[in-house]
Amino acid sequence: MTAVPHPSAPQPERQVEPRIGARAVCEGLVREGVTTIFGYPGGTVLPIYDVLREFPLRHILVRHEQGGAHAADGFSRATGGVGVAIATSGPGAINLVTGLATAMMDSVPMVAITGNVPRALLGKDAFQETDIVGIALPVTKFATVVMDPDEVPFAVAEAFEIARSGRPGPVLLDFPKDVLQEETRVPHPEPYELRLPGLLRPVRGDVPEADELTEMIAAAERPLILSGHGVQIADATDLLSQVAERSEIPVAHTLLGIGNIDETHRLSAGYAGMHGWMHVNKMIQQCDLLIGIGCRYDDRITGKTSTFAPNAKIVHVDVDRSEIGKNVRTDLGIVADAGDLLAALLRRLPQSEPRTEWMAQLASWREVSEARSWHGSGAWREGRLSADYVVDQIGEATDHQATLVSDVGQNQMWAARYFGFRKPFHHLSSGGLGTMGYAVPAAMGAALGAPERETWAVVGDGGFQMTMQELATLVQDQIPVRIAVLNNHRLGMIRQWQEIIYDENYHSAELLGPDLVRLCEAYGIPAWRATRPDEVAGVIAEARKAPGPALIDFHLDEAQNVYPMMLPGKGLSDMVEGAAE
Amino acid sequence: MAARQTRPAGEADAIHRRHVVSALVVDRPGTLNRVSGLLRARSFNIESLTVGTTHEPGHSRMTIAIRGDDGHLRQVLAQLERLIEVLDVTDLTGRPHLELELVLVELTPPRGTADKRELEGVLASAGGEILTRDASVWRARLTAAPDAINRALEALRSHGLRRLVRAGAVAMAADSSSDIENGATPE
Repeated sequence: MTAVPHPSAPQPERQVEPRIGARAVCEGLVREGVTTIFGYPGGTVLPIYDVLREFPLRHILVRHEQGGAHAADGFSRATGGVGVAIATSGPGAINLVTGLATAMMDSVPMVAITGNVPRALLGKDAFQETDIVGIALPVTKFATVVMDPDEVPFAVAEAFEIARSGRPGPVLLDFPKDVLQEETRVPHPEPYELRLPGLLRPVRGDVPEADELTEMIAAAERPLILSGHGVQIADATDLLSQVAERSEIPVAHTLLGIGNIDETHRLSAGYAGMHGWMHVNKMIQQCDLLIGIGCRYDDRITGKTSTFAPNAKIVHVDVDRSEIGKNVRTDLGIVADAGDLLAALLRRLPQSEPRTEWMAQLASWREVSEARSWHGSGAWREGRLSADYVVDQIGEATDHQATLVSDVGQNQMWAARYFGFRKPFHHLSSGGLGTMGYAVPAAMGAALGAPERETWAVVGDGGFQMTMQELATLVQDQIPVRIAVLNNHRLGMIRQWQEIIYDENYHSAELLGPDLVRLCEAYGIPAWRATRPDEVAGVIAEARKAPGPALIDFHLDEAQNVYPMMLPGKGLSDMVEGAAE
Repeated sequence: MAARQTRPAGEADAIHRRHVVSALVVDRPGTLNRVSGLLRARSFNIESLTVGTTHEPGHSRMTIAIRGDDGHLRQVLAQLERLIEVLDVTDLTGRPHLELELVLVELTPPRGTADKRELEGVLASAGGEILTRDASVWRARLTAAPDAINRALEALRSHGLRRLVRAGAVAMAADSSSDIENGATPE
């Protein structure tokens, strides 16, 4: 194909004082409301660093670009805004990729800015050259190289528009160095000047399909809402509670749907899926109407799709048409913003009587399932330190008001099950991609984005060692992240799978790590170690007093598993509950 | 706006067949990469993909011929549609459309009149004509729907077929409402 001018080619009649591309980039960021950027300098982005002081942009110097990408992601998730990461060409840009893919899978808006070699050197295998756009294409919502300084103002504005509109996602802009160095007189576009005909924007306003859904609700005896990340992306958690109360329908949530409803709400059913609560999974299997709102019905929720929700009519509401019918049979698919759909339901639904029988069923299932698996193995009762107890105590100590950023693996499931979330945007986790090493850098971004809240990273000793270089960033910028390392000297989820599925053939599950307290001493971070349940509350209280970052090394009982568990290839009806319970 | 699909995508309606898909895309570097990459990531083997400019500056039209299950393909097309570079995607399969393919062939010259007459008959069956001829080689073109092309190419095997170059299918919707398609103004 022949290249033609950028479709948003600027109007030549409106010109401003000339400034270099790097300044146009920074101006664009400021115009988009960016206050904090996470970056790592390098040869091709130095033109940006050369002018950065002129702008009200706080630059956090990360220790690895992956940390920068996760921090930008954490900033976005905690604030509902758009995080920004900067990296240089070649290795710097490639190091962003894990973070971009993490954001893509979880529909997190962010903008990554990379430098590249000057245009004349592109394609010549120049020093630190890489085709980052080619690499990033499948893991971004949009990626492009900006080949002309005149395109810079539009490119930056478009990147933010694409990142946050419809189903959000990460966008990568690649700037050859000389594009940053040369001048342009092109002004920044006004919102109405952005022409993005290929951008799918949801039709806003009333949702006529709510008529049919209202009828389905009226006909249902055992309805259940399964709410996902889309509810928070749409900022519609209040509407969700109102719809639940109006229709007397219990609300379950996915991993990223944590915070959609206060877990103490009388209609909150709880966390569903592979390591979700048994009573919630039973409800999914027994309900006669399942209303999925802003979730993907992904395999960690459904298990074997042919046995998923066998008694239910399945409704799927999503802003992305391509999600509907992708994984499960759908009786009613509605392409809409979650907030619009919930508002449309509120306008239609009459006040329902309490669904006494259905809620009593839930209560009895809940009683059984919480008695069986509350606090996992229960080892803490015998004086052995268990992870569920640690997470529970962090929740209690912070009155459940902290931002909790979990990593991936057992720690993630314990955090999801036992923290007791009350509010949206307080739980951050790499749900779709399952990126180990996410927690510490993402917590860094979350703490800067939402400084009014206490921020905790809950991380295993495996994930911690993947990105622990960011400890230095936490110190340098005195970012108050409290890190709870759930340290079992193991790759715990690997060990669990090997125990249950691979006949106790433990390979590469044991993990040597440094003395974390002494490591923190070297970094200048206050740190504590706890090995017994009676020490937990004390060290949490100490860590909360620290003005900057702090770390607690919780040495756990090594053989603790997360139960219940849905085995690969199985469905929600055949979960493993664990012999010890 | 409502997408009612009682069949689980990619499972129950697994009719495996050839689809012809027409996509209006933004003419920018990377668009082809993005479209073909998405199909590759879902393990679709592209039979042919043609792309060319349209009467609208900045827009290109892709015709993608692809084999796959109806359910899978429907889901992939929805994913294609959400690409920023893609303005519109239409599966022309099962609705009125025109489809043509261009093929260039190189032939050993026929021996004798009967052979020549047969060869001309085969070419005529696929909208063909001879473009160059000399003592050692004839070159011809075929322009026809893929079925006719395939039949003609099979017949040409016994008429000295030596080489061929296929351009891939181009297709255009041909139902009454398709003269103005999704933002593209008619000529």
